[in-house]
Amino acid sequence: MIMNESANPNPLFMPRTYLSTESNKTGAWRFARPRYDEKTSPCSAACPAGEDIARIEMLATQGLFKEAWETILLENPFPSVCGRVCFHPCEDLCNRREFDAAVAIHSLERFLADTAIRYGIKPDLEKRVPRKQTIAVVGAGPAGLSAAWFLTLLGYSCRVFESATEAGGILRWGIPPYRLPLAALRHDIQQIEAQGVSILTGQTVTAEMLEALKKDFDAVFMACGHGRGMAMNVPGENFKGVGEGLDFLRQIREGQAPACEGVSAVIGGGNTAVDVARSIVRLGGKALLLYRRRRRDMPAFEPEVEMALEEGVELQELVAPVAVAQEGEKILLTLQEMMIAGEENSRGRIVPDHGKIREIRVDRVFKAIGAEALEAWHEPDAADREMLRLTHTILDRRGTGAVMVFGGDLTNATKSVVHAVASGKQAAIALDILFQEGIEAVIPRLEACLVGDGQSLSMEVYLGDERLLRNPHVVRYAEINTDHFQFMPRVTQPRLLKEERARSFEEIDLKISAQLAMKEAERCFNCGLCNQCDNCYIYCPDSSVIREADHQGRQIDYDYCKGCGLCVVECPRNAMSLGEETS
Amino acid sequence: MKRVLEGSHAVAEAVRLAKVQVISAYPITPQTHIVEILSEYCTKGLMNARFLRVESEHSCMAALIGAQTAGVRTFTATSGQGLALMHELLHWASGARLPIVMAEVNRALAPGWNIWVDQTDSLAQRDTGWIQMYCEDGQEVLDSTLQAFYLAETVNLPVMIVLDAFYLSHTYEPVDVPGQEEVDRFLPPYVPKFQLDTAHPCGFSPLVAPGDYMEMRYHIAMAMDDALIRFGEIEDAFAAQFNRRYGPVEAIECADAEIIFVTTGTVTSTCRLALRDLRAKGEKVGILKIKLFRPFPCERIREELKGAKKVAVIDRNFSFGAGGIFAQEVRAALCNVPDHPPVFGYIAGIGGRDVTPEMLTEIYRQTKNSDAPKKESVWIGLHEVNNAD
Repeated sequence: MIMNESANPNPLFMPRTYLSTESNKTGAWRFARPRYDEKTSPCSAACPAGEDIARIEMLATQGLFKEAWETILLENPFPSVCGRVCFHPCEDLCNRREFDAAVAIHSLERFLADTAIRYGIKPDLEKRVPRKQTIAVVGAGPAGLSAAWFLTLLGYSCRVFESATEAGGILRWGIPPYRLPLAALRHDIQQIEAQGVSILTGQTVTAEMLEALKKDFDAVFMACGHGRGMAMNVPGENFKGVGEGLDFLRQIREGQAPACEGVSAVIGGGNTAVDVARSIVRLGGKALLLYRRRRRDMPAFEPEVEMALEEGVELQELVAPVAVAQEGEKILLTLQEMMIAGEENSRGRIVPDHGKIREIRVDRVFKAIGAEALEAWHEPDAADREMLRLTHTILDRRGTGAVMVFGGDLTNATKSVVHAVASGKQAAIALDILFQEGIEAVIPRLEACLVGDGQSLSMEVYLGDERLLRNPHVVRYAEINTDHFQFMPRVTQPRLLKEERARSFEEIDLKISAQLAMKEAERCFNCGLCNQCDNCYIYCPDSSVIREADHQGRQIDYDYCKGCGLCVVECPRNAMSLGEETS
Repeated sequence: MKRVLEGSHAVAEAVRLAKVQVISAYPITPQTHIVEILSEYCTKGLMNARFLRVESEHSCMAALIGAQTAGVRTFTATSGQGLALMHELLHWASGARLPIVMAEVNRALAPGWNIWVDQTDSLAQRDTGWIQMYCEDGQEVLDSTLQAFYLAETVNLPVMIVLDAFYLSHTYEPVDVPGQEEVDRFLPPYVPKFQLDTAHPCGFSPLVAPGDYMEMRYHIAMAMDDALIRFGEIEDAFAAQFNRRYGPVEAIECADAEIIFVTTGTVTSTCRLALRDLRAKGEKVGILKIKLFRPFPCERIREELKGAKKVAVIDRNFSFGAGGIFAQEVRAALCNVPDHPPVFGYIAGIGGRDVTPEMLTEIYRQTKNSDAPKKESVWIGLHEVNNAD
């Protein structure tokens, strides 16, 4: 429509139209189709517990600390513990590492747990319909308690049998309080009990009792762990003055720390060995850590080794004890020097450096070279081919009795708290599938609940929540549009000074403020997740992104979207995809 | 208040005083100083304007077309390649009758890559429907920019204020910067004659069939003719307020002149010096400075040149295959006048080369000594080029 507009002496013959351009459905021009396509963050795939980290940090950024904490609880009942002792493989694969530095996921997990404790927050978790089956759990360590937690969420009633006077297993008796204070552990356990898990302490399960449990319960989860230190198999290792590292740590936790004056040799390179050495320093002794490979080969977490050395622990690499003898009040330790003969599995392969033997005199020796089950019948029969061997658990449902499930350190290749949680979760989900759908469904259903391309199971996915809709594709750094991010330094975990550390068993890692935590959470790319930043809405040249009240908050108006793909390119976190137009 | 300002800042001061509401720009030497200081004014709150950074000059003009259609006063500045990139949207701005004002700092087009003065960039846009004014000094730049908003908004056509790279854009001179109240008395607030209105949604510039397009174009032609008259009225108003007037052309000692230089831009100032020396020697010489190029003030040019024996046009530009562009325009203006003086075309100062009083004296001497103009333009001060590599 054309009209003359003006009262001006100059005619202003201006064309105008009152027809809406909406009649022109430009969507028909499209040959590429953008869509909201939430993907998997590398951290969540790397987390053995499959925590939805990208979402947790997104909620933390928004100050939704309770929701963030609940999101952890859906995958891991131990945020207070794991926020302290987890070796955080999530941070190793954080995409932000390639930009400036990984997000401090570990510190944020602890912050969320501490915040829940501080304000006495109770989680609002949906409980499923009650199931008729009952499950006995042997051992109240991280694996057993996790299994009980997830089974309870799934509607089963569980009873946990614990031989010690208090629940927690290795967390309670094997990790010193400077890494894991009692209050932090007790909070997570109380949380689990509050959900309806009953724990019977002082209740050792004997072989006979196990047979009884098998009759009374529909399933038994064996998660009694590796409580006995392994032998070195050298002459004299059972002399007085040669102790087990795990026993020593338990004595400390029981409040009966032995005297440690003089020099103590600690044999081993794992976390137990390092914990023993650092505890000796705190008790006023000198600790000499003897390891048969190199420092870089130690299974102990590197920051722990570094702090141990700062605190005064002396490390001797490439030495293996070959004999122990008593020499008056002292212990004479004969050490064979080792040499690297090559590399295997990214660790050094060692052989004795023949002829290089030396002797040292120490006041006592602690062995910490690994642990095994207390009783042989705790373990699943390695030769039994009839058992269903899963990644973190082993199932045995033969016979008429209860289904036997083995988990935790009894079956895990990597012995860590978060792997124990993963094992408990796998046991819980596997039993639910078994009870509800039968044994054939176990493996395919478990595979459908994996996070991304990894081994981690997600309870949220199993329960069919929103997370199920995510694309398993793990977002790579190259898929992040870093133009939309600025360099920001990573939060520095505040710690006690090394002088303070060596004097007491006070917790080393200090708290961070909510302000620091939110700032750190803001650094998260939220890989693959829509955080409603509105870039798609702003960049769309056709006003074809519509704000909706659905879970995503956004929708594409395909009547007009021409498929330019700008929204996909400008999505900072790869929460959108561009596909071929097929219709 | 008199201040010592570079030409770029004289533009910027006028834009500030005109209370422009949307500025969009993409930086390009030698224009950048203009928008640099304007962006500062916006940041510091000295102007209540939105400064839109864009990814190209094409987008810049598109943004201003949108903003002006929404009913606000707009401004941009560009140079050389930037103006060339805007070309398509220059047509759009005038066709849509949007009174956008732009400062265009003449810059030579590449290659060879050259940031110095040359008028070919703006003259290449002569058919885009923009009013063009060529300025001689900082004061004229400031005054013309203020007038440009008034003129543009009166006739609904965009205006280009043109100034020489460096010789004007980067040269500091005393400039009288008027106060805001004085400017407000001269320049009325912008009242759009049409604009986007969300209460009455409509689309501008849809498809126009042959039955109407020609009339639209004719109206632009009428507006352009009207601009010549309005220019005079606005100059009257300006002179009443500020006591300064430039005219579409300025005739300097033309009344008795036998040879008249035709100049534009800063060459005019140099020519004023040459004129003084030549007059001192008794030569009958004058200057006709052309300020307004579109609409082209043909009547005034015929009038001022009618008594001369010869006309020497100095072009700092070139149309390949045709010659200097002002020379062509002057010839076209004169051709139907009986016994009009012959027009000698000279090319000088291309790509930023200095045009000295000596060169102008040489041009005068050649013109005086030639009976008739050469068929081609005469290039002044060409070096001998050796092709040895």
